[in-house]
Formats: sequence, structure tokens, C-alpha cells
Amino acid sequence: MQSKFPMTLMALLIGATTMSSVQAYEGDWKRGRVYYRGVCTTCHTAQGGTPIGPNTKTMEEWSNYMKADKHAAGKDTVSQYVGKAYRDSVKETNKAAEKFADTPDEELLEDIRVFLLKSAKDGDSPASCS
Amino acid sequence: MSDRIYIFNRFNRFWHWSQAVLVISLLITGFEIHGTYSLFGFEKAVSYHTILAWSLIGLWAFSIFWLFTTGEWRQYIPTLEKVDAMVKYYVTGIFTHSPHPFRLTRLQKHNPLQRIAYLTVLSVIGPITWSTGLLYLFHDYWTEWGLRGFLVLEWVAFFHTMAAFMMLTFVIVHVYLITTGHTLTAHLKAMITGWEEVED
Amino acid sequence: MRTQRFRRRTLLPLFAFLGVLLPLLTTDLAAATDAAPAKPVKMNSTADHTKYEDLQQVFKSGPEVTKACLKCHTEAAGQIHRTKHWTWEFLNPENGQRLGKKNVMNNFCISISQNYSFCTGCHIGYGWKDKDFDFTSEVNVDCLACHDTTGSYKKPAGNAGNPVVGEPMEMPPGSGKMVKPVDLTKVAQKVGKTSRDNCGNCHFYGGGGDGVKHGDLDSSLASPDKELDVHMDATGLDFSCGTCHKTSSHDVPGSRYKPTAREQHSAYIRGKGEKVNPATCQACHGNKPHKSPILLKSARMNTHAEKMACQVCHIPAFARGGVPTKMSWDWSTAGQKGSDGKHMVKKDATGHVTYDTRKGDFALGHDVVPEYRWFNGDIKYTLLGDKVEKSDSPTPINRIDGSPTDGRSMIWPMKIMRGLQPFDPVNKTLVMPHVAGNDDIGYWKNLEWEKAIADGMRNVNAPFSGKVDFIKTEMYWPITHMVAPKEKVVSCTECHAADSRLKGLPGIYMPGHSAKGWLDIIGWLAALTALLGVLIHGAVRITLSLRKAG
Repeated sequence: MQSKFPMTLMALLIGATTMSSVQAYEGDWKRGRVYYRGVCTTCHTAQGGTPIGPNTKTMEEWSNYMKADKHAAGKDTVSQYVGKAYRDSVKETNKAAEKFADTPDEELLEDIRVFLLKSAKDGDSPASCS
Repeated sequence: MSDRIYIFNRFNRFWHWSQAVLVISLLITGFEIHGTYSLFGFEKAVSYHTILAWSLIGLWAFSIFWLFTTGEWRQYIPTLEKVDAMVKYYVTGIFTHSPHPFRLTRLQKHNPLQRIAYLTVLSVIGPITWSTGLLYLFHDYWTEWGLRGFLVLEWVAFFHTMAAFMMLTFVIVHVYLITTGHTLTAHLKAMITGWEEVED
Repeated sequence: MRTQRFRRRTLLPLFAFLGVLLPLLTTDLAAATDAAPAKPVKMNSTADHTKYEDLQQVFKSGPEVTKACLKCHTEAAGQIHRTKHWTWEFLNPENGQRLGKKNVMNNFCISISQNYSFCTGCHIGYGWKDKDFDFTSEVNVDCLACHDTTGSYKKPAGNAGNPVVGEPMEMPPGSGKMVKPVDLTKVAQKVGKTSRDNCGNCHFYGGGGDGVKHGDLDSSLASPDKELDVHMDATGLDFSCGTCHKTSSHDVPGSRYKPTAREQHSAYIRGKGEKVNPATCQACHGNKPHKSPILLKSARMNTHAEKMACQVCHIPAFARGGVPTKMSWDWSTAGQKGSDGKHMVKKDATGHVTYDTRKGDFALGHDVVPEYRWFNGDIKYTLLGDKVEKSDSPTPINRIDGSPTDGRSMIWPMKIMRGLQPFDPVNKTLVMPHVAGNDDIGYWKNLEWEKAIADGMRNVNAPFSGKVDFIKTEMYWPITHMVAPKEKVVSCTECHAADSRLKGLPGIYMPGHSAKGWLDIIGWLAALTALLGVLIHGAVRITLSLRKAG
């Protein structure tokens, strides 16, 4: 009887991974907007740099930017600043990071990607940084 | 040349000085609340004023108890005897160094003008202040207590402010009259040490 | 950090407990747990609209989508038909005035008469292009305006409430500006619950642009931080509009025509207060909301709430999100052309328009401290046909009622929109000009008031003398959104001071502000006399002693 527990757990885990890979995650631009403004823009402003409005690039440029995954001219990566480790490190002072503390990295990256595409210069509704 | 009489015991002195500090602080915070100047900011001024007011009420409770248990209240029975002499002294005598018309003793530590002045403070200015002050403080309970129909905040505030002006005027004159003792500092010393020097 | 430590400590006994319990239960639970968490599901709706066959088609127009929606949501259009959002009409039960966008005028673009296809870009319907729109049509109900979740559904001004479908459309014609078509299939398949963005598409842009009209509603509220709105804070409570404007049967509560000015009750519990306005602060917070550990303080705050709307202290300023709002509009200066003889536009340092040949002069404001008025919820509009007199005091477009003594009023923060607008000096009425439109009548194109007004007035069968003059008007907008967090409320000193926010309001005694003048004069004179008296007395004493000593 006792041996059943780990087996059930295994079945659960396998089930979950296969299912989620079957059905691709659909990005939520509203979550992306909150993270983009709450974390990206906030940090860019705090670091003294200029915040980058989503409407400063085209959909294609944003798409390539997210694919290339290069941040600060290649010094580090975009996914690093969306990743859980980074969110954990700033969540004490950043409410957006705190809000998404438990969100899987790939979901959040996708959220941001769809937000950027939607808000790009040639997107459905071009948006500035705030 | 001079004699010393112990006229202010320890509680009496404590009462006097703590009351002095409280009254002056209440005037400072009170006039800020009134809108005369801004010092602490309205909200802080109100908090300080409230705390100081409760302290003064507590002090007065003790002093009333003291006055009655020790019989000291008799010091405040008004008298008209020698009032004219006192007035004459302050208007002319004091300049020519005439002898003080009143000789204080342990049993009569206030001259007739002091009696009238302090009685006014204790029985007129004080009660107006604390009665209107308490009403003001509990303004938020007027409806519950059925007072809303009888009272108007504006007038409660008016009488409270009026009493404050009276108190301020009293304090100014009182502070000056400290210097009119046997020597310039005789009265002040008396209120600090309890011992008053009197002319022989 | 704190949560982690907490977790470790609490989880340990939990694991121990489960370790004992689980092996005993797995046989029974296995069947249930296997299925439940494994399949990813939509958590924000019970229906995935991509799966509906009716929605898997190329839609050529808005009404085609609605037809598909109505197949399942059979009562939806009927419910919409009963709402102000559809009728743009409101009958004030108190005074019988027929209001609503269809009937009232304002001091922005003035009225919808003959401007239909522009104004109705914000109508939740399709095709309202003139006064003969069919309000009984079910397929003309626009479901997507409020239920789009993609953010791509747009209804450009000038298209009579229709989205651009199929091919890009040049708007306005001849301008070279192309409006992208909307992918109706995608939008229809992704419908969902109404969000701040949906409401905002119209309500943030009232008056013809972002933040123009209300002052407390603009695009900054789509994803606000806590400072801007404590309830809608996107990383905090994240309220949607509907959290307060609790909608049932598609009828959104909360009204500008008949607002709830004063409420004296505790917070509503479920099932209670269903006939009342759920959008008020008191609906959730009650009328004694302040709690303080400091003796008497909560009572003092709650007493403030007996005379003042919550908004007075909790909305320290409006237009706080970085988007300016229009504070005045002077139509009388419209029509001036640039030195090149063409229409011109003047902008301020931040790039916001302050003069436009077609519209006149504007004044904008951000972080605006409201004006305060006693208000009991009664509003009387100056409607078409009501007599107006030109004078120095402005004509109220909506006259708000209230007094400190009527027992129904509270002090409210207001945006007061001021302006000069055209009127008929002979008939002494306000007028409804035809302003928008790419025709040879609309004022914005032709800059001729007489023609534009005659057309707008003819459309509503109202008399027009043919004479045009300008009249000063003002319009009241009670402020209720952009609620600041409690650390940022209006501080005591801003009212309890000589230069008070509430300066000039009758019927209030405010310590620190309303001191009696003559008592102060007598009081300070008494104190000063005493001071001078003792100083002179002292000086005489000193001089005499010095003389004696000398």
C-alpha cells in the first residue's frame, strides 16, 4: 500500500508535463504590461537610463529582440531579468516582481512578448512607456 | 533686615510650575490650532494640545483635592480689605519705594489683589477652559449624547478661545508681577525654594 | 524572506501529517487527483470561445459577430437594450428631465446632434449614423466593445460605431492616415470578462481624447500603481471597474445624472442593499470606516465623514497619472488661421494642444486640486430650449444642488469645466452645432458657425435665429476615481488653515480656518495692552531706581 504514493506522484507529474507541452501557453498581454511597466520601466528609470516605450520598435524588431534574448547590448539576457531568481532578488522592493513571484519563467516571457507585439509601433495599440 | 517665611510647600511648588509649563504649552499649541501661526502642523498641534489638556485636568484634580484637604482654599477667599492700598501701591508707591501695604504670613500668603486674580483663574478662566475644551474634545459624541441640538461648535470654540486670551493676559501680568517683591527675585525664589524673604 | 521562513516552519509538521495520512488515503484519492490538476484549463471563464464552431468563420461586420453571440446568449441584446449604454438616454425620476448623451449638451464638443458617426464610436452598437438609428435592433448591439480581451478591437471616430473590417481604411478620407482592420474572428474567439481596458476605451477618452473630460478617468488607470489608485493597483488589489460598478444583467450601476451623494449606513453584506448603488465607498466601507488606536481619533475622522464625501480627503488631486485633463475650452477664439492661411495647432512645452483653429483655446491641468461644493445628488441640466442669459457669471450646464442644512448634502470634490461656447443670442438658448464631419457643413472643416449650428438645430427640430454669440458656461464633474493610499490623503493642514481647500464653503466651522475676527482683535488687544502696561510700569521703575542710585 505504501509504495503507491510515489507512483501516483510520478503519474501526476508526467501527466502535467505532457499536457502542458501539448497545449501551448497563450500569453496574457495584461500581465506582460504589468511586468514591463512595473519591473522593466521602473528599473530603467531608476538606473538613470531612458525607459524604452514599446512603441519605439516595430513588431518585427520586438519579436527579434525577444528571440535574441540579449539585454544591455549583449552583456546579459532578457530572460535573466524576467527569471524567477531575479524576481526573487527584487521582490522585497518591487511589487510587480512580488506579484509574479511564482509565475513560471516561460509564461512571463510570453506575456511580455505579446504585450510588446501588441504595443509596438505597428501593433494593435501602440503604447508609450507609462 | 529681612526675615524668611516658608510659604510654598513642595506640592504647592510642583503644582505651580507644572501648571505654568502646561498652560504655556497649551497656549502655544492652542493658538496654532486657532490658526494664528503654524509651528508643528495642525494635526500634531491637536495631538499635543489634547495630551497637555488631559495632563492639566489631572493636575487640577490633584490640586483641588489638595486645596480642600489642607484648607489652603481659604487663601483664595476674596477680600476687599486693602485692595485700594494695593492698587495705590502699584500705581505710585512702588516707584518711590514705599513699604508694601501687605505683609504676608503663613496663613495669608496672597495679597488681596492676588486673591482676586487667582480666584478668577481658578473659578472663571479655568472652568470655561476645561468645560468648553472637553465639549470640543468630545464633539464627535455630541449626537450620541443628545447635545447636537443645543450646542454649536463655533460657539464652543469661541468661548474656549476667549478663555485662552484671558489666560494669556493673566500670564503676561503675572510674570511681570514676580519682579515686584521685596527684591526683584524674591517672589521667584519663593516659588522655587518655598521660602519668601519679607521686609522686617 | 518572511514567507520562506514561515513556509519552512509550517510545512514541516504538515508533511509529517500527510506522510501518515496519505498512504491510507491514496487508494481512494488516486482516481480523483489523477485527473483534476493535470489538465490545464481556463480559469477566468467556463467557456473557451475558440472551440465554438459559430465563431470559426470570417466575419465581415460587427453585426455578424453579434448574430453568432446571440445564438447562445439569447437574452443579452434584450438586456443591453434597457441600459443607458445603449439608449444614451436617461429620464431623471426626480425632475422629469430627459437626459443622456442623446439629449444633453456639454462644454466640450457640445452635443451629438449631426456628429453621430463620430460620437457613436463610443456607442455599444453598430451603425448609429443619424437620428433615425434603430434602437430595437438586436444584431446592432456591439458585444465586442465590452468583451474584447485582445486589446485590438477599435471603433474609430467617424465610422458610426463600426470597426474597420477587411481592408485598411483611410480616416479621415484624404488624410493619408490608414486605420488597420480588426481581426473579428480572433476578437470573437477571445471574448471574456469586461476589464478596465474595455471600459477605458471610451471612458478614459471622453471629450475626444485621453483624460480630456473627467479628470479622474484616463488611460493611466488601465494599469495603475498604488499611488494612483489604491483599489485598482495592478500589482495589488487590481480591482476592475466592475468590482465597484457591480453589474448585473448588463446594467452598470453608478450614475452621473443621479449620483448618490450621501449615504449613512454600514457596509452591505451579501444579499443586502441590492436596490442601492454598489459603487459608493460606503457600500463596502460603511459610513464609519476609520479605525485608529489613538483615543478619539477614529471618532473624529468618522465625524468628518458625516459632512464630507470620502473623496474629499482620499482624492488629494485628480489627473495624477501623468495625463492632463482639459480645464477650460474657449470656442469663441476658434477659426484663427496661421500666417499661411491654413489651420493651425499650438502646443505647450509637453506637446499638448492649447490652441486648434477648429476648436479654440484650451487650458489643461494635471495634479489638479479639486474645487469643493455642497452636493446632495440633485442635478438640473440646462437643456436645449432652456433660456440662458449672457452675463459675467457662467451659465451652469448642469446645476448641482446642495446646502449645509438640507440634511442630504455632503461636501464633494469637483472638476469644474469652464468655457465659452456658441449660443443663440436672439432665442437665448444654447445650441447644438454640427462640428465633426468631412462635409461642407461641419464647423471643423468649414469654420462657419451659422451653417454648422443651423444644421445641428434643424436635426433636432429646434429653432435657431441665425445669430451666433458666445456664452460663458461651467459644468460640474464630481470626482470619485483615483483614490490615493491612506498615506497620501489630504492632510489636516490643507483645510485647517487660513488658505484652506474648503475656503468659502458655507456652513462649516473649521478650527484653524474659521476663527472669529473680532474675538481675535479684542483678545490680542487685551494681551498687547497688558504687555505694554507692564513694560511701561517696569521701565518707570527702572528709570526711577537708576536716578535714585545715581
